[in-house]
Amino acid sequence: MKVVPSRSSEWVKPVMPKKPASAIIEIERVSQVFQTSARKDHVALSDISLTIEEGAFVSILGPSGCGKSTLLYVVGGFVNPTSGSAKIKGRTITGPGPDRGPVFQEFALFPWKTVLGNVMYGPRQQGVRTTEAEAQSRALIEMVGLKGYENFYPKELSGGMKQRVALARTLAYHPEVLLMDEPFGALDAHTRTRLQNDLLNIWERDRKTVLFVTHSVDEAVFLSDKVVMMSKSPGRIREVIDIDLPRPRRRSELLLDPRYQKYVVDIERMFDEVDETGALL
Amino acid sequence: MTSQLRSTSIMLGLAPIVLVIALWQSLVSFGFAPAVLLPPPGYVFSRLLQQLMTWTFQQEIAATLIRLFAGFAIAVVLGVSIGIAAAASPGINAVVRPIVRVLAPLPKVALYPALLLLLGFGHGSKITLVAADALFPILLSTYYGASTVEQKLIWSAMAAGTPRYEILFKVVLPAAMPSILTGCRIGLVISCIVVFLAEMITSTDGLGHVLVTAARTFQAVDMFVPLITISLLGLILNVLLGAVRSYLLRGFPEA
Repeated sequence: MKVVPSRSSEWVKPVMPKKPASAIIEIERVSQVFQTSARKDHVALSDISLTIEEGAFVSILGPSGCGKSTLLYVVGGFVNPTSGSAKIKGRTITGPGPDRGPVFQEFALFPWKTVLGNVMYGPRQQGVRTTEAEAQSRALIEMVGLKGYENFYPKELSGGMKQRVALARTLAYHPEVLLMDEPFGALDAHTRTRLQNDLLNIWERDRKTVLFVTHSVDEAVFLSDKVVMMSKSPGRIREVIDIDLPRPRRRSELLLDPRYQKYVVDIERMFDEVDETGALL
Repeated sequence: MTSQLRSTSIMLGLAPIVLVIALWQSLVSFGFAPAVLLPPPGYVFSRLLQQLMTWTFQQEIAATLIRLFAGFAIAVVLGVSIGIAAAASPGINAVVRPIVRVLAPLPKVALYPALLLLLGFGHGSKITLVAADALFPILLSTYYGASTVEQKLIWSAMAAGTPRYEILFKVVLPAAMPSILTGCRIGLVISCIVVFLAEMITSTDGLGHVLVTAARTFQAVDMFVPLITISLLGLILNVLLGAVRSYLLRGFPEA
């Protein structure tokens, strides 16, 4: 027997077209079409509009192939949308810039640089003097829990440590928005949990805007203020769910919180529904 | 543990060399080849040591080394810059690709008579030939390495505020370093072969010239001396390049 998922939960709200005063990122009717072969186009994103408020932690959740990473790359300026536009603080995004810092699942650390060299790259590129950049970078390395590893090369570190370095490297040039593309997807469950906790601790200090792509419902609910649920083929926004849970969040408290449990169960149901519809098409 | 492994592999590597020398010695000892035509290894090696002390022989080595280094250096500079440029720009790639396709399989030695006429018997013709032969493996492996740089490394650098033209030097070149150095290793071996070959064909000095002169005057011992010298030089240069490689690639997983 199949359980019909309910969609009428009272906290599920449709996409709001209104533009709040503190909007930092505005995605307006973005579509992205990739030509996969001469006769077939793949519509990765179809008419996406989304506004992200300054200081919000927003997760983009969806099945694989729903274009959630592509949406992040559009905001990063790494790919240009086929139509529509993305804006940061009212300026149209035309390319990558230090106001938007990416953290990738593959870490993408420079293998020829040490941990310190990787973290110092951004500040040096911004014209910060070497001594100053080094002091800042050492402080950041300590903050992500890697004190003592400054002169290690990435190949000498575990996956979790590499992702900590990647986070420090991005934070080092003070981006206004963090763009995280399934950052903990390549890590084992335990490391993943620890990094989620540490990311929240770091985030709660200065509340940077975060756009966080994931396919884990727990992760999205635990971290976010808002979860954007996407469906695939073509990539569309299905729902935007506000996660109304108190901060600072502690995992041990949250896991016992019935509100958290309800969010997870409801979103998981929606995820199943979205994944099935995608498979049928 | 590692040092033990290393010494074992060195022993295993030395074994075939010892075998070849033993075979060589036995060919002479058991009378398969007359000692006049195939001098025993001990005799050749003592002659080599004796020659290494003489000024004239050192001059020959110097001539060969100058050509080898100059040719190899030109090949590295041209190969790396053309390879990176072709990987970075589709326009340059469109121009370079057909030339490389036509010239790469061409036996460059065939150009040597023309080079002699153009550049004379001195260093110029030999350096050019060495550069022409060593260029292609370096160019092709640089191109391959530069065009397979992980996109997200480039994105990470661009997001950190690196301008597009600096990406080539700050990301693409260092990221392609493993392939570039593999190409250099092949290019160096080719340089050793080609410089010797060119000197054998037409030259007034150099190790190849020493060999040909000895062969023409039936001085078998003096024929083997330059042969062993160039092998030793190749070995030493390869070890040096290996040291440079492990220094430059100290952060890379594959090194």
